[in-house]
Formats: sequence, structure tokens, C-alpha cells
Amino acid sequence: MPNRGLKRAILIAMLASWASKTFLRKSGETISGRVLLGLRPSAIQELAVDRKIVLVSGTNGKTSTTRFLTKILRQLGPVATSESGSNLAWGIASSLMSPEEYAVLEIDELHLPSILAQTNPKVVLLLNLTRDQLHRMHEVKRVAEKWREIAELATEVTFVVDVDDPYVNYATATASKVIRISFGGRSHPDGAVCPQCGMYLRWRDGIYDSDCGLTNRSYDKKYEAVSAGERNAILANVAAGHFGAQWLTANPGELERTITKEIGEVESVIRLTKNPASWTEALTSVTSKDIILILNSREVDGIDTSWLFDVSFEILRGRNIFVTGERALDLQYRLHVQGIEALSSENYESAMRSFSPGTKVQVLSAYTAFFELSR
Amino acid sequence: MLSIVRIHNELLGTYGDRGNADVLAFRAHLNGVGAQVIDVSYNQPLPNSADIYLMGGAEDAAQSLSLHDLKSSGQLASAISNGAILLAICAGFQIIGESFINAQGEEISGLGLLEVTTRPGEPRCVGDIKIKSPLLDVELTGFENHGGVTTLGTGVTAFGQVIVGRGNGDGRTDGAYSGNVFGTYMHGPVLARNPELADLLLAKATGLASINYVDELAIEYAQWRRKVTK
Repeated sequence: MPNRGLKRAILIAMLASWASKTFLRKSGETISGRVLLGLRPSAIQELAVDRKIVLVSGTNGKTSTTRFLTKILRQLGPVATSESGSNLAWGIASSLMSPEEYAVLEIDELHLPSILAQTNPKVVLLLNLTRDQLHRMHEVKRVAEKWREIAELATEVTFVVDVDDPYVNYATATASKVIRISFGGRSHPDGAVCPQCGMYLRWRDGIYDSDCGLTNRSYDKKYEAVSAGERNAILANVAAGHFGAQWLTANPGELERTITKEIGEVESVIRLTKNPASWTEALTSVTSKDIILILNSREVDGIDTSWLFDVSFEILRGRNIFVTGERALDLQYRLHVQGIEALSSENYESAMRSFSPGTKVQVLSAYTAFFELSR
Repeated sequence: MLSIVRIHNELLGTYGDRGNADVLAFRAHLNGVGAQVIDVSYNQPLPNSADIYLMGGAEDAAQSLSLHDLKSSGQLASAISNGAILLAICAGFQIIGESFINAQGEEISGLGLLEVTTRPGEPRCVGDIKIKSPLLDVELTGFENHGGVTTLGTGVTAFGQVIVGRGNGDGRTDGAYSGNVFGTYMHGPVLARNPELADLLLAKATGLASINYVDELAIEYAQWRRKVTK
């Protein structure tokens, strides 16, 4: 039972959230967390006591996996979670204000150690680690290192991991309780060097071996999965299985972050893309002849665009492509160097108006643009 | 046929620098010069007869592996003495220097192709960078992300004077060059953001006095980055 000081802080935080929603028309979600942590810095710790908490982290797929895992666990009872994907301390505090026994929380990669220490979760689900927002993360290895330090100390926590990702495997190699899942058949875009010993990682048909012994040859269970979304759905089920939840099969595309939007009689499916790995994954799903690509470079998008050259856009050859967003020119020139010509458009709406009625357009969109289009 | 060797991209490919080879080949083609990109990975024999060699940025362990391989083969030095051009970015720039300090704090001797030494510095240099190089009339732009402070010896010239950013860590100079060996901290990739630099390397490699084809999109892109990098 929360004590009086915490209760008072929660009340004020809820009031602030209500005011923000009512008068400023904001979501109110981070405001309540900010106020709560301002008044009560230990709130996350206190709110986490005696609850069944699952943390979800990784470079790509956090939000959709958190949503799906929440759906699975709701078979067992009510679940607190963040609907908006706010994955820093404020968002966590705000999600935990909801008193349900279960909580599924999406955690930013760099914040995982601190949130793990504060929440004492039952299960931590680690999806993947690839290059993202390097201006903030600096190096992939650095993030894996931070995870490993905390994972080793968290002897009561069960980690559910994709062992085919050498960074995730490394991060949990010294943890006490790990469920290692393998899907096989994939390499890793940043996986040339063993994160554990720094030697060249030997890859063959999705299997890696290092001189130091780091490998995905040993795993607890192997599953078949074609897309990142399918893999994440399986990992979510394994994590939920820890609590005895029944296996839930995801609908096709359920774990891809897409929205649909129509302008005139042009229909578009907009998919979130944010780094080389997620662009590469999203490009494999391109089937439409008509494409819009949107690139921004605000903080969460990653402020640099050099990585565009690490993505092959070959699948777009011969399609009708519009580029837009604050870094549209970076995209247009990158495609140009690959011999693929795109037209530049002022914004998403004007690009949509360039298509004739009845066209079904596929849109790949940077993070910040995706959120603007979601509103 | 112009041959462009991309060295250890799986190790030195953290930051899109593979695009430098793509841009060179692309602009060579636009100018009617045939060009091929040869990817040489770790522990594969490095040819010493190519025209242009390219190295990119890397994380620490990858940097050490790449250096170890290049040191034991000795082929890169031999290619340079045969007149080849080398452009090395970030970790690649540190590798071709006299020495650098690795993640464990040990001093590692480099390939010695440029008289520079690198030690770790704080804070990390992260952000847009703009420089004025004595090699070109236009300003050059890129993106830097490194924790090195590089000191230039007397046998090299700074690749450029820093206008925006930190470059070699002191905020005054970026990179270094000597003869046909060029080092810089600029990602972007630097040849995509600065077609004039790409053409300079192509002109040197082909022996042509200048490269004449005008790719308007490349110019528009370069000019826009120059304008907004401040």
C-alpha cells in the first residue's frame, strides 16, 4: 500500500496531467511522470513493489512488442502499460501510476540499467541491438556493455533474448536466468566483431562462432520466423509464458508499426522506419509501385544521415518514388548514387496529391514524421 | 578502368563511409570513366595495384582488427608508394597515423602513412562539421562522432581549418594530408556531401586535369549542406 507521501505526489501528478490534457490538449502522459518524479524521486521504485513487471528493450520493435505482450498478458488480468511508447523515466513513472498487478514497460536502451535496478522486474525481454541514433548511443558495443553490467547483477530476473543477435547474447552471457531463443538464418548488420573478445566473428548460415566461445549454437528453443515482427511476436509469447499465459498468434503485420491514411482517393500505408536495420527490414515489405519516403533528422530520428549509404534501396528501382521531409535531399541524392531517381515533394500531402485516385501508396517514414502523421 | 578498393567495410563501416566508394564510382561513370569497386574484407589479400583505397569509421575492437591485418600484409604502404590515393575517415584516419591509444589505454603503433598521433579526449566530438581545406575553393561539410584528439607532425598539412565542429579535437584543424594520403574525421559520407572533393581524387587518380560533368543534384545537395551547417 503506497504511503501517504507517495499518494499525495500521485494525486498532484494526476491533477497536472488532467490540467495539461484539458487546457493544453497534450497527452498528459509525460507530464504526470515528470511531476511525480519531481515530487517523489523514489516513485518508480515504490510503485514497482510487489508487482509483476516485464521490461521490453532493444533497438527496433519495442513499442509494437510491448503492445502485443500487453495483449497476451491481459488474458491473465489487467495490465498497466504505456500506450504512447514514452520509454524514459517519466513515461515509466506515469505508466506505473496505474495500479494493476501486471505492468509491461517499454524501456529506452540507455535507460534500461537504471529502470531495471529500480523496478526489480520478473522478466526482461531483449529484442535486438543495432546502430541507432549514434549521436546519442555512440557505439553499439557501449550499449551492450551497459546491459551486461546490470544483467549480471540481476540474478532474480529472467531474461528472454534473441540469441542470434551477438550483442544481445553478449549482454546476457553472464546473467543467471536466460531463455535463449534462436530463429536462425540471419546475419547481423554490425556483427563482424565479437562483442565479447573483440576478435573476428565467424558467420556461416546465420550461425556465429567466436574464439572466446560466444555462439548461437546453443539455445533453449528454436522457432521459425520470417520477419522481425514475427520474431518479436514469438519473443513476447515466450516472455508471457513465464507467467503461464496462453500462446497468442499475432495477426499478419500486427507487430509492424503502420498507420493508414487517405487523401482524396489515394490510400497510403505508412510504416515507421528509423535506422539502417529498420529501413532494411521495411524495404523488404515493399510491394506497391508507388512509394513515398520521408526523412527527418531531429533528435529521435538520429541527427545524422550518413547511414543511408548502409541501406540498399535496390528494391525501389523502377517504382514511382517521392521523397519528402527535412532531409529529403539526402535521400534523393543517396538514391541517385544507386541509379534510382526520385522526385522531391514539399510534404507528405503534396506527394499524395501527385498520385491518381485509386492508387495505393506505401510510405516509409522517419520517427518524428510518423508521429505527426499519426495525430 | 579505375579500381577503387574499399578496405574492410564490415569492420570500418560503422558510419556509412562505404558510400565514398559508391560516389567515386558513380561520378567516374558520369564522366565516362569506367570504374569498379573492390571490397576487400578482413584477412583477404589486399591488392597493391589499385588506384584509390578507402577506409572508414569503426568501433574500437574493429579498428584494432583492421589495423592488425593491414600491418601484417604491408600491402597498403606498397600501394601508396606505387602512387595510389588513400582516403581514410575517422578510425581509418587514426589507423594510418603513427599511433593511437586504444580502448584499453594502450598505445598502438599505426601504419605510419601520415605523421599524426591520436589520444583520447573529452568530451566526445559529435555533430555537424564544416571546414575550409587548402585543397579546394569550396567549404566542406560532414558529420563527426569520435573521442580522439589528433596531433599533427611537421610532415603533414591539416586537411582543413575548422569553421564548425571540432575536427582533430581542438576545434582548429581537421584531418591531415601528405602527398596522396588524406585523413579526415568527416563522415556524411564526405564524398557524397562534397562532390568537389570526390572530383579532386578522381582527377588525381585518372590524371585528368579536371572532371567536367556537372551533376546538378550533387551540387544542390552540397550547397544546401554548406548553407545549413553553422
